[in-house]
Amino acid sequence: MSKILGIDLGTTFSAMAVIESGEPKIIENKEGARTTPSVVALTKTGERLIGVTAKRQQITNPQNTIYSTKRLVGRRFSDPEVQRDKKLLPYEIRESKSEGVEVKMGDKWYRPAEILAMVLQKLKQDAEEKLGEKITEAVITCPAYFDDSQRKATKVAGEIAGFNVKRVINEPTTAALAYGLTKAKSQQIVVYDFGGGTFDVSILDVSKETVKVIGTGGDTHLGGDDFDQKLMNWIVTEFKKDQGIDLSKDQLALQRIKEAAEKAKIELSTTLETEINLPFITSDSSGPKHLYLKFTRAQLENLVKDYIDESIELIKGTLKEAKLKPEEIEEIVLVGGQTRMPKIQEEIKKIFNKEPNKEINPDEVVAIGAAVQAGVLQGEMKEVLLLDVTPLGLGIETLGGVDTVLIPKNTTIPTSKTQTFSTAADNQTSVEIHVLQGERPMAADNKSLGRFMLDGIPSAPRGIPQVEVSFDINADGILNVSAKDKATGKSQSIRIEGSTGLSKEEVEKMKKEAEVHVEEDKKKKELIEARNLADNLIYTSEKTLREAGDKVASDLKKEIEEKVEVLKKVKDSDNIEEIKNKTTELSQIIQKAGAALYNAKGDMSGKARHKTAQQAQKKEEPRKEDKKKEDKGKDAEEGEYKKK
Amino acid sequence: MEKKERRKSKTEEQLEECQKIKEEYLTNWKRERADFLNYKKEEKDRMIELMRYDKEGLILKILPVLDNLFIAEKKIPEDLRNDKWVEGFLKIKTQVLDFFKNQGLEEIESLGKKFNPNFQEAVEVIKKQGCEPEIVVEEIQKGYLFQGKVIRPAKVKITK
Repeated sequence: MSKILGIDLGTTFSAMAVIESGEPKIIENKEGARTTPSVVALTKTGERLIGVTAKRQQITNPQNTIYSTKRLVGRRFSDPEVQRDKKLLPYEIRESKSEGVEVKMGDKWYRPAEILAMVLQKLKQDAEEKLGEKITEAVITCPAYFDDSQRKATKVAGEIAGFNVKRVINEPTTAALAYGLTKAKSQQIVVYDFGGGTFDVSILDVSKETVKVIGTGGDTHLGGDDFDQKLMNWIVTEFKKDQGIDLSKDQLALQRIKEAAEKAKIELSTTLETEINLPFITSDSSGPKHLYLKFTRAQLENLVKDYIDESIELIKGTLKEAKLKPEEIEEIVLVGGQTRMPKIQEEIKKIFNKEPNKEINPDEVVAIGAAVQAGVLQGEMKEVLLLDVTPLGLGIETLGGVDTVLIPKNTTIPTSKTQTFSTAADNQTSVEIHVLQGERPMAADNKSLGRFMLDGIPSAPRGIPQVEVSFDINADGILNVSAKDKATGKSQSIRIEGSTGLSKEEVEKMKKEAEVHVEEDKKKKELIEARNLADNLIYTSEKTLREAGDKVASDLKKEIEEKVEVLKKVKDSDNIEEIKNKTTELSQIIQKAGAALYNAKGDMSGKARHKTAQQAQKKEEPRKEDKKKEDKGKDAEEGEYKKK
Repeated sequence: MEKKERRKSKTEEQLEECQKIKEEYLTNWKRERADFLNYKKEEKDRMIELMRYDKEGLILKILPVLDNLFIAEKKIPEDLRNDKWVEGFLKIKTQVLDFFKNQGLEEIESLGKKFNPNFQEAVEVIKKQGCEPEIVVEEIQKGYLFQGKVIRPAKVKITK
């Protein structure tokens, strides 16, 4: 089945999305951009340009570059809105025979729907190229205040472009759809849409099967571009105050200021202060002049306060018209790039006393929602098999009481994972598998799901046996943990039901705890790691000395033994730095021994070396027994079991 | 006997139903597997695209610095042009340009050429006697291609 394209046909920009594998996805246009300017032009050579190329030549060809057509579509010529725009738009507009509007491009007159159709056609072609399949059906969005005639004209535009228009849907409704808010029982939603050139506020009433628009308001000539303009004016004024030079007539300077203003505005959404740095902005007889201004978020908020206040008043007015109080609104959705401004989010929160929905890119949320609607019509969203995820990490306890996670949180189930571990002590013949759930790094802080022993492991030095541990969760959340000794094939397992069946509160509590303790846990883990490293080095050092016998000079041997003793003493303290320092010291000196050993044996054959090592080991056997006793219950490297 | 047959047919019905479900599940499973494998392939392409996109984003952010270097160079007073210090700084500029070139950044040549909105954005139209229309006469801001794609059009003044 071919895909249905979801299209956000905007006044200044348009975007498109489809459902792919059950998820909505924005489709980039041929130029690789996620949005396409809703601009069409006819060049002097008769070439038709659509999108960004049309916009780039706008200034050279203003009379034949048609934009903001959405403001005219489906309206009567006598409409005050058309009369107002007629004065602002640089291209010719006249009344059609049917009392509608016509615009002139080249020598021909077009209905606005025909112009919009050209934009839609480009989107169609680009989508087909990107997806590699024909697209014949579309869901197109329109503002909630569009009347029947405007909706019909939008549909006609789609049809001229070659689409079978499945639905013309309200922009605020698709925004709510993108957040999945229309599924809930009965609720009221406010959609606050602050785009580049228009501001809209809509109130939706979601009942069982329908989404009704119960209020709309806005300003068709207020947008983010006004914010940029305000900031540009401020920069020009400041420079004039400071240097006495007027930049407002200098095209080159203005171009740079425009870009810097937009950049500063965007940066101030995430930082509190930014700088506008434009070296060599101009020059006079005294030499070059540089523009350098510090600009804070508070200053920006002050500059555009009127605009924000106006938008807030419009929300209040719309609420009043719909006879609703702010506390009766369950959800707020933010649309349009300007809503990234923290002050706007703050003001909205102040009215409704709620966090607005803002996770989906506000420039794309309408197109995403249109794709979701397309998916519903196609039935693709319904057929998606819902799979659960693990709410918290699942792992086992390893040396030092560390929780080694095998299946991290948010893993889609069913799933399985296998990892090989080893023993922590010489001649360890059994390991305990302690299954844990939680987000804290230390086993003791997490929830114990169960434990079992695997014994009968043949005696071997630590680190040699290979124990394969497998976690397997089925679709019902039943966890099967098994451990197998690779040498003997002996295995044990445990079945844990309801490993994902924690209540929402429990999961949240555990996640929160992990967040609260993150610093302290990090330190704890670092300490254990340092200890494990120290322990390992002590083991290797002692082994080296044992195996080397008298090949290591007695004073060096003595020095090593001393360092080993020192490290043994500090290893169990809580002083990470001390453990690390002593570990380094021992590590350096043991390297010396290694080098000495290597030089001494330089001329021996591999076989002889092997024999010597064996002999050395034999001689030291009793000490090794002692070591084994000592090792019991001690910490070792991560990935090895705690010896019980 | 009749009862037995009826039971048999019921068992057969159940078997048929089971087989139908089995087929459906198997098909869905195969489809899911195929979806996943295809997803993996697409993901690989997406990763490459993402890395390119990431690099492109970074370069776009550095471009204003490069613009300023060019502006600064343009504004060097005549009497300082041959100064050794200035020469040294200009060498650094060359070094920066070389770096960008190695990353796949190419400058769009505009001056004296016919205006093309695929590569240029017009910011002003000026009258110039005896000149063909729509010719780029001044470059306000350089445009660039990154790995063959326009990442920023050149901002230009053109003739009427």
